[in-house]
Amino acid sequence: MASKLIPVVAEIKWIKKESRDTATYALKILDKDVNRDFKYEPGQFSMLSVVGIGEVPISFSSAPTDRDITHTIRIAGDVTTALSKLKVGDLIGVRGPFGRGWPLSELYDREPLIIAGGIGIAPMRSMIREIVNNYDKYFFRRTPVVVYGARTPKDILFRNEFPRYRGFFELILTVDSADPEEYWKGEIGFVTNVIKRLNINPLHTTAFICGPEIMMQSTIKELLLKGVAREKIFLSMERNMNCGIGLCGHCLFGPKFICKDGPVFRYIEVEEFLGIKEL
Amino acid sequence: MRAKIKKEDLVYLFLELKGTHKIIGPKVSNNVIVLSEIDFEDLPLGYRDLQSQGSYKLIKSDESTMFGYSVSADSFKRFLNPPNVEILSFKTSKRGLSFKPLTYQGKPLAFFGIRSCDREALRLYDKVFLEGLERDFYYNSIRQNLILIALNCINPGDNCFCASISTGPEVKGSFDLLITELDDCLLIESGSSFGDRLIKVLPQESVNETHMTKKKLVLEKCMGMFKKKISFNKLPDLIYKNIENPRWQEIAKRDLECGNCTQVCPTCFCSTTYDSVMLNGISKKITEISGRKIRVWDSCFSRNFARVHGGNFRLSRKARYRHWFAHKLAYSLEQFSLPGCVGCGRCITWCPMGIDLTQELEGFSDGE
Ligand SMILES: Cc1cc2nc3c(=O)[nH]c(=O)nc-3n(C[C@H](O)[C@H](O)[C@H](O)COP(=O)(O)OP(=O)(O)OC[C@H]3O[C@@H](n4cnc5c(N)ncnc54)[C@H](O)[C@@H]3O)c2cc1C
Ligand code: SF4
Ligand code: FES
Repeated sequence: MASKLIPVVAEIKWIKKESRDTATYALKILDKDVNRDFKYEPGQFSMLSVVGIGEVPISFSSAPTDRDITHTIRIAGDVTTALSKLKVGDLIGVRGPFGRGWPLSELYDREPLIIAGGIGIAPMRSMIREIVNNYDKYFFRRTPVVVYGARTPKDILFRNEFPRYRGFFELILTVDSADPEEYWKGEIGFVTNVIKRLNINPLHTTAFICGPEIMMQSTIKELLLKGVAREKIFLSMERNMNCGIGLCGHCLFGPKFICKDGPVFRYIEVEEFLGIKEL
Repeated sequence: MRAKIKKEDLVYLFLELKGTHKIIGPKVSNNVIVLSEIDFEDLPLGYRDLQSQGSYKLIKSDESTMFGYSVSADSFKRFLNPPNVEILSFKTSKRGLSFKPLTYQGKPLAFFGIRSCDREALRLYDKVFLEGLERDFYYNSIRQNLILIALNCINPGDNCFCASISTGPEVKGSFDLLITELDDCLLIESGSSFGDRLIKVLPQESVNETHMTKKKLVLEKCMGMFKKKISFNKLPDLIYKNIENPRWQEIAKRDLECGNCTQVCPTCFCSTTYDSVMLNGISKKITEISGRKIRVWDSCFSRNFARVHGGNFRLSRKARYRHWFAHKLAYSLEQFSLPGCVGCGRCITWCPMGIDLTQELEGFSDGE
């Protein structure tokens, strides 16, 4: 097995614009052997590099059972801007997959509640697609619920895909604010407000959350109030990352390496650290 | 295998090694003992170092003790994990994009005079760079041929506190050769077949039980000479209990966030990489560039360390000091089952403000 510290070369197969600042990139790893052995799980990430500019951690937005490996990337700073300038056929470096993903075994015989905020929908899409591709395997107790919040209707990613998921999920979209000129029939308000009103069976619920940390914290508070078990709440954390594999020290969150112990954690693993400012 | 040699005959070890190895050891430079490529003549024989909070002084005494000085300003880490090193080369051209790992190409290294604290730090380094999820190929290219000539301490420095963490003063980790200075000779023990070979070239006399007893006495005496200690048995809990203690803010007032402590710390391992594009690599077509990925030491005291797009997880000085302190004394134990502090005292000596982590830890204990 080649070292995960050395990038492999991938070609951009197609690009799909998702919103004003976000696009999905399908990658094809050029080396046939590496491509065949490249196995990832929902919730894991790769380090994508534009040579000469730098490297960034980006989650998989596709499911392992999908045909193409995709990443959905929002323009933030240097590297993501450079990525946004690339065209189909361009080459990038890929190191990965890294980290611990969503615990799919926790889906069996449960009532999954998937909660995403902002770009947090990217790693969630990987799990959503995994569920769609293998729906019958999990024996859900009820239709899984997806709550997804974005800033405005324009910022909602994968919007045109959602109708296809209707049969598989109860889907609740919410936006912080909507322009009255726009057609919007979803909810308005924060994700937490939706959770507050949500009718769930806390004993059967397993929650998966990805979004800004503050949103995850307030969401978890609501879930706990509803009686969801601490052990059945999973969240994906974000920190500065440079190596992706426990060498550079950048991603530490208390004693946890987000890159290798996470990015997905069971709430009880990080509970004691989450409330501590600037840890 | 064991032997005793006359003190001056140590020169033969250098003669034997220097053809095949780059010998890294202590030497005086600008009135400070630092590590460097050395020959026998460079050894700071007969020197004594006086270390205290934020201060270092070297004195020459005419005593016959060879290794009466203690720990050098820098640690051996910079030879295994250089502060600035090219780890990958990349090239894009019409034919595509390629990445190539770069490794150490020089002579194998031999660390001369590595003390127990630094030997224990090496144990942690091996955990990080070799025993993690991925072996660091650059580190490994040096480590796999590394020779260790360890030295038992007979005279701890004033800032040393390894005895209270059980990381010294006696070398417990593996080595090729181990030197213990006795009053009239050097006791040399081998810990590997390479060490056996080295011992054989030295003009030696055999060792008897008296020498081994003397060694024991020297080390026992050393154990009794420590001026500093740390309440290691209270770790890591003491840190977690005090993670929101207002005292962090008080320490931060004295802290300059210069990062000296992370530079001299033998276990600090954090780094950042960046791409450096060669000047001759830029052609008219942006698609044809070549360059190197460079890895440099980073420090959790630096402002950008925990920066992400749209925020910074450790903006306050207090948070950065706390992170460093907690990584050394708490997190490391959970991450690697090893303390992140080996008691060498360098961070105390080289802190311009003289911040002393043993005292700061005591400050938290007081509240108990
Ligand atoms: C596990 C994980 C998964 C992620 N998944 C996605 C995803 O699927 N889609 C997406 O759009 N974004 C994702 N991000 C966030 C993304 O990594 C940052 O937006 C990106 O690193 C910003 O880099 P930049 O060079 O454009 O920004 P700059 O502000 O120029 O950042 C410079 C450097 O700082 C570091 N850095 C900056 N921000 C972050 C950050 N938020 N997280 C980690 N390192 C950072 C990177 O090393 C980056 O190269 C993820 C982050 C993590 C930690
Ligand atoms: S800390 Fe211990 S092992 Fe290190 S130099 Fe001081 S006495 Fe020697
Ligand atoms: S990203 Fe480097 S240690 Fe986690």
